[in-house]
Amino acid sequence: MSPDPEFESLVKIYYRDLYRFGLSLTGSEADAADLTQQTYYIWANKGHQLKDPENVKGWLFTTLHRQFLNIRRRRKRFVHESIDEDAQNLSHISADVVNRVDAQTVLEVLGQIDEDYRAPLMLYYIEDLSYKEIAEVLTVPLGTVQSRIARAKIKLLQLLTKTKPVPPQSK
Amino acid sequence: MNTSEAKGKLLLYRGSIDDAEPEFQEALEQARRDPELAEWLREQASCYDAIRAKLRAIEPPLGLAEKIVRRRPIPFPLDWSRIGQLAAAIIISATITALVMKLSEGRHRLVVSAQEILVTGEVLDMTCYIASNLSGPEHAVCARECIRRGLPAGLKTGNGKVYLLTGQPGQTVNAQLAELAAKIVTIKGKETRRDGFAQLQIEEIQKL
Repeated sequence: MSPDPEFESLVKIYYRDLYRFGLSLTGSEADAADLTQQTYYIWANKGHQLKDPENVKGWLFTTLHRQFLNIRRRRKRFVHESIDEDAQNLSHISADVVNRVDAQTVLEVLGQIDEDYRAPLMLYYIEDLSYKEIAEVLTVPLGTVQSRIARAKIKLLQLLTKTKPVPPQSK
Repeated sequence: MNTSEAKGKLLLYRGSIDDAEPEFQEALEQARRDPELAEWLREQASCYDAIRAKLRAIEPPLGLAEKIVRRRPIPFPLDWSRIGQLAAAIIISATITALVMKLSEGRHRLVVSAQEILVTGEVLDMTCYIASNLSGPEHAVCARECIRRGLPAGLKTGNGKVYLLTGQPGQTVNAQLAELAAKIVTIKGKETRRDGFAQLQIEEIQKL
């Protein structure tokens, strides 16, 4: 197969972020890798249909999210932590709470939050997307996205507060 | 705006990426005047940076990028002039083959007489399949459009054998087959073969 520098460049730029987004949605490394591959496969076949080349990033994330929703319809849903109205309490949480846990723990805690809230929260943290772009990726209204991120963020911080610190590795 | 309302707004503030958003301006202005709110905002920013750093530290499996590039399908934009050229090439090739066979009919009996068979497989758009190996659900939209526009349709069985699908003499079946593009169907029909090419004249289609 002849090389395609443009395609390879797109892979190099976005595959890590797409994988992380996929991992936050599925909680499975294998599923996240599959979703990332599938997204680029679809891009290779249909990417030429994109009218605005500036929107490649949004297109890739939207496609990965749609692929995830297709998979989710076929699978049993996990039970997630509900986000109740009490979560509106803006408690004071220090960055030390976050620094005492590792990345895997943050991901696991994130996985306890319902997908409708987890997806925008992940895009909020790892992608440099505006709120409008996040709303477009997830095809939900801007106000809904902001409300979900706010509530999910409080829930995440509350869950992290309850999480036990990672013990120091023995030498 | 009181402190609680300002916190509600600033909970979503991520720093420079959100500086252009007008909805944060009033709350940010208030944080400049209120030391307690400013301290709270600094803690929020630290928390955001810490979580972002943790999540961005997650690395994909080794070799994933190479795997994606290696498995890249051949791009095949819907260039109708090119599809038309390919279809013409198939038709010309088939016509030449038929003429040559007709001329040598007296000497060689290579046509296997028609026999009724029942075959199950995927309905293909032959142009894209032969030119670019495109098939399956991912290619359904293109296949449907190609067949609907009159390009040759085929059937690929589970063991990889491909039949050119035709209707009864003088009748086209493309409209019917277009709706079944990329779907698995069972077809009853008459099979004829010539020089390794197989044709199936459709009598009945069952969608699975």
